[in-house]
Amino acid sequence: MKIVREALAGTLESSDLMVKIAPAGDGLEVVIHSEVIKQFGDQIRQVVHSTLRDMQVHQGLIIIEDKGALDCVIRARLQSAILRAAPDAEIDWGKLL
Amino acid sequence: MQPRPPIDFRIAEVSGNTRRRETIRALLADSGLGMDSDITTFVEAWSNDRLVGCAGLAANVIKCVAIDEQWRGENLSAQLLAEVEHLALARGHFHLFLCTRPCNRERFQRNGFWPVVQSGENAILLENTPSGIQRYCRSLQASRVAGQRIGAIVMNANPFTLGHRYLVEQAAARCDWLHLFVVSEDASFFPYSARWKMVQSGVAHLPNITLHEGSQYIISRATFPAYFLKETGKVQQAWSEIDLLLFRNHIAPALGITHRFIGSEPFCDITRQYNHSMHQLLAGAVEVVEIPRIKAAGHAISASEVRRLLKTHQFSRIREIVPDTTFAHLTSHYSAEVA
Repeated sequence: MKIVREALAGTLESSDLMVKIAPAGDGLEVVIHSEVIKQFGDQIRQVVHSTLRDMQVHQGLIIIEDKGALDCVIRARLQSAILRAAPDAEIDWGKLL
Repeated sequence: MQPRPPIDFRIAEVSGNTRRRETIRALLADSGLGMDSDITTFVEAWSNDRLVGCAGLAANVIKCVAIDEQWRGENLSAQLLAEVEHLALARGHFHLFLCTRPCNRERFQRNGFWPVVQSGENAILLENTPSGIQRYCRSLQASRVAGQRIGAIVMNANPFTLGHRYLVEQAAARCDWLHLFVVSEDASFFPYSARWKMVQSGVAHLPNITLHEGSQYIISRATFPAYFLKETGKVQQAWSEIDLLLFRNHIAPALGITHRFIGSEPFCDITRQYNHSMHQLLAGAVEVVEIPRIKAAGHAISASEVRRLLKTHQFSRIREIVPDTTFAHLTSHYSAEVA
């Protein structure tokens, strides 16, 4: 999935997260801010990176502002933002889930 | 504890809507804030019939964020900011700046904004990306030229006069290399593309210059609202400091700038104050060289004088104070009105 435009998904409500995505010419930059980074930092990073890997995102700036979201929410928000940032394509929902 | 009634977010276009403005103005006043006149849109938070929060958007700058005292501590500003970000993106602005007081720094840092530069206890500029200014500086580094004396000039050139040309020539003669930034904010009489062309053709005879497009980080609506709003007082002082600190801490090091050249300012209070702050803030980092304005027929040349003469179609007098290159542009674009 190629990031071709800026996109947002999510909110800054408690238990949610906001994902911001922008194209970047020089590789993948992932910034994670979380209120629970001390307790769950590794887990959050793992979810984020596996989602990016599954969707084959190799370039772009990904900013995540987490307010204590569950893994499934993190994944869903990230997927939405990536789909909004990518050129319109047929989505294979079976693969995404 | 009684549950709060739900919050309802509304988008209010305030230009021309006086009644709407007054409601917001009252909320801002409670937080000790004034309303900036360049804000076109507010995101409002309503609880029943009461306005309890607002955040203003002027192109890609967020400011005038206020929350009703009784609603503080409920994460309302975070919700407002998320609403503003979605709205701004829908309007084509992804890279956002936020102007606030340093005491609010942490609140915004928790909500996806990163500090760019802070002027004491007066003002802080944040942006909604962790690497905006670093990316910009990396792109500047590509234009780095080695040398003992590396100069910089920032100009609006509205329009480019003989005074500007003199300043550039003097600076170029005293430096190994000169970086010339043209303010890119489109808030002046002449559009950016026209100002850029006039500068480009006006300095084409000088061999040691790089012309830079201005950016959000150089006298833009984000770094220096007062320059365009022509307000007075403390706000303006704080934001001219923000602009200068950005230059000192980020832009000058990226290009290895050792000298900044400015023309003396006999007319505009804001620019004169800016020059004064520059001497203070850049001291020890970048040498500020103030070059007296040249005169024509006894008067210091100024771009505002050219604009005044243009309005009254006095082309023969304009010819005396602008280079041929600028004059050609002015006659081709504005003399039709005379005929």
